[in-house]
Amino acid sequence: MASSTIPTHYPQLVDPTRTPLAFLNRAVPRLNRELQSDNLLLRQRAVRSLCDYLHDPEHMLPCLNEDIPATLLDLLKDTDQFCRLKSAECYYVIASHSIGRQAMLACNVIPCLASLFDDKEPSVRRNAHKAVSMYSEAPPGAQNLIEIHLVDTLLKKLISELDEIKELILNTIHFCLMVDVEQALAADAMSTLTSLLEHPSDKIKTLAALTIFHLSVSLKGKERAVEIGTVNELVALLDSNDDALKSKSALALSIICIITPGKYCTIKAGAIPKLLAMLNKESTELVVNALKVIACIAEAPEGRKKLLESVDQIERYINHRLPNLAKHAQIAAKVIKWMP
Amino acid sequence: MAATLVKPPNSTYTFSSQPKAVQQQQGQRQKFRQPVINQSDENSLFGNIMYDRRVIRGNTYALHTLPAHAQPDPIEVQRQQEAKRRALARRKAREQIRTKTPDPVHNRKNIDVQTELYLEELSDRIEEADVDVQTDAFLDRPPSPLFIPQSTGKDICTQIETGDLFDFDLEVKPIVETLVGKTVEQALIEVAEEEELAKIREQQREYEEIRNAELIELQRLEEQERRLRAEKERRMKQAQEALRLEQDAAQKIAARAFAKAYLQDLVPSVFNNLRENGYFYDPVENEIETSFMPWLMNKTMTHVNQLVLGRTILDSIIRDVVNQRIDDYDKLAEALKQTIEGGIDMGTSTGDIVHSSEQNIENLESNHGELNVTMDNNTNEGGEISNGALLNDETDEREEEQTNANEDAGGEQ
Repeated sequence: MASSTIPTHYPQLVDPTRTPLAFLNRAVPRLNRELQSDNLLLRQRAVRSLCDYLHDPEHMLPCLNEDIPATLLDLLKDTDQFCRLKSAECYYVIASHSIGRQAMLACNVIPCLASLFDDKEPSVRRNAHKAVSMYSEAPPGAQNLIEIHLVDTLLKKLISELDEIKELILNTIHFCLMVDVEQALAADAMSTLTSLLEHPSDKIKTLAALTIFHLSVSLKGKERAVEIGTVNELVALLDSNDDALKSKSALALSIICIITPGKYCTIKAGAIPKLLAMLNKESTELVVNALKVIACIAEAPEGRKKLLESVDQIERYINHRLPNLAKHAQIAAKVIKWMP
Repeated sequence: MAATLVKPPNSTYTFSSQPKAVQQQQGQRQKFRQPVINQSDENSLFGNIMYDRRVIRGNTYALHTLPAHAQPDPIEVQRQQEAKRRALARRKAREQIRTKTPDPVHNRKNIDVQTELYLEELSDRIEEADVDVQTDAFLDRPPSPLFIPQSTGKDICTQIETGDLFDFDLEVKPIVETLVGKTVEQALIEVAEEEELAKIREQQREYEEIRNAELIELQRLEEQERRLRAEKERRMKQAQEALRLEQDAAQKIAARAFAKAYLQDLVPSVFNNLRENGYFYDPVENEIETSFMPWLMNKTMTHVNQLVLGRTILDSIIRDVVNQRIDDYDKLAEALKQTIEGGIDMGTSTGDIVHSSEQNIENLESNHGELNVTMDNNTNEGGEISNGALLNDETDEREEEQTNANEDAGGEQ
């Protein structure tokens, strides 16, 4: 049987890849200490444990009190790939909480994360982008990103990165653009995004269309879009099979159609029959977006002429149960029937 | 254990403490109880060097200066003897308390017996076996085997029947429950986190949709508003422009008409003025006026002056003549008177005198009349401007002649 003397060896580690967590509130200081240690193995194990520890929201506050984000900053520059990977992932988890985002803002983490964008390992890059993407979802984060002019860098990366990372970057840019459009326009985002519209992946095309929509909220964006022929691409995308893609292209088209050249460009590209086909679908988002494009096109006399034939299709939706849909159907019908 | 005196062969020394076989220590398994140790053997026993009095302990810097082989202090000696006696007494007392095997009964001998299960041959002679080992050349010394000391004490064994300790199934239940619970809880938390994220995204997406829709609507309305307003502005501006042009045209026409009316008699009036001011002149006429007329006037003036002069002279002549006549008449009168007075007889001569005086007076008067006539002729001639200069000269000469004639006539008379 087991002897009663205290054994001299430590208990066996269940998982040798992570440090065991100390009890209660000693866990975080110990992890913090180990993260700063010189031994690579200790660091790796500590950062892995930290990553899992952070998932619990109740553990977030003590971690932030111990100033873990600052410690992780040093780890981001570590020579070992695994450390960088895991610390970027830790930042991703921290950024999903609002106090975490505030702490990240205070420690000025984003430039260091941004330098990781150039890392050789794709997984490190992916985690870095995930962290930045999550950080940008809230307005203060997006504001911060705009302030440090990250949009430019992201756009450049967009051209050269892998697909899944492209999705993350597009997501980040999408949130940044909800705050401020100027920088992206200055960096000639429209042409980059237009070229992305030809990408084989549907998801990327959807995100690109959404980003184009945001860019086109400002007048300059709209003009640029018409200039470089984004309209034709978007109209071509209206044919695709993916619902989400169709609805987002319609969204982008609807905002470009607000300016007069945009309207004529769209009509010339033959968008009207495709939009009318979209009206028959089930997905409400699709129908709403189609209705909006129709409303915008109907401002122009040619469009109005063509759409007068299909007014009854639109009027079907006026009494739909969704208030959003009904309202837009009504607006579209009104615009079509307007006489000068 | 018997202490055999060992003396090294051919040595010049003796052992202070004789080497002897290792004794079993107190705590370890002793085969036999040790016999009582005499005090005399005490020193010959191996002492623990730690407790050896001969070893200097402690600080050697401030050592007690008395070396070991100096004369021992009698007090010290006495004290040591006392300590020894006391220790011995204590040991003796302990020995007495310890139980010993009772002495054997009559005709019996105590014999050592083994209580083990299995008999063991005991002998003083230690069984020796010589084993020698030679490691292979160039082989590393293998690590020493782990030293596990023999277990001391009595060996006792028991047998645990089933159900003695605990019921595994009963006991394991809470442990397994805890384990499973914790695992499931962790899994649930993770899934809940993902679900929460997905829900949040869903909500965000819906919000974004509505926001986008509203934004587009807003912009569209703005654009519409702007376009309509721009159109209206344009039309208004056009209308205003047209109105302005009309007004301009009307004003121009009015101005033109007015100007025309105003200027209508400007030209004639200007011409009139000019003509009045003599700007349109007949050059011949002008020349006549500028050069001829002054000459004419001068000549006329001279002529007239001459006439006036002539007249004046004539007047003076006449005056003189008249004065003279008067004088003459006076004289005549006088003479007459005288005559009358003097001679009323001369009655007939008065008539001649009177006739002569009347003739004088008639001559004078006819001269006056001629003068007047000539004066009238002159004035008539003077009044005719259109006569040529020569004519004028001629008339002047005629006048001069007449004047001279008159003067002569006057002079004659």
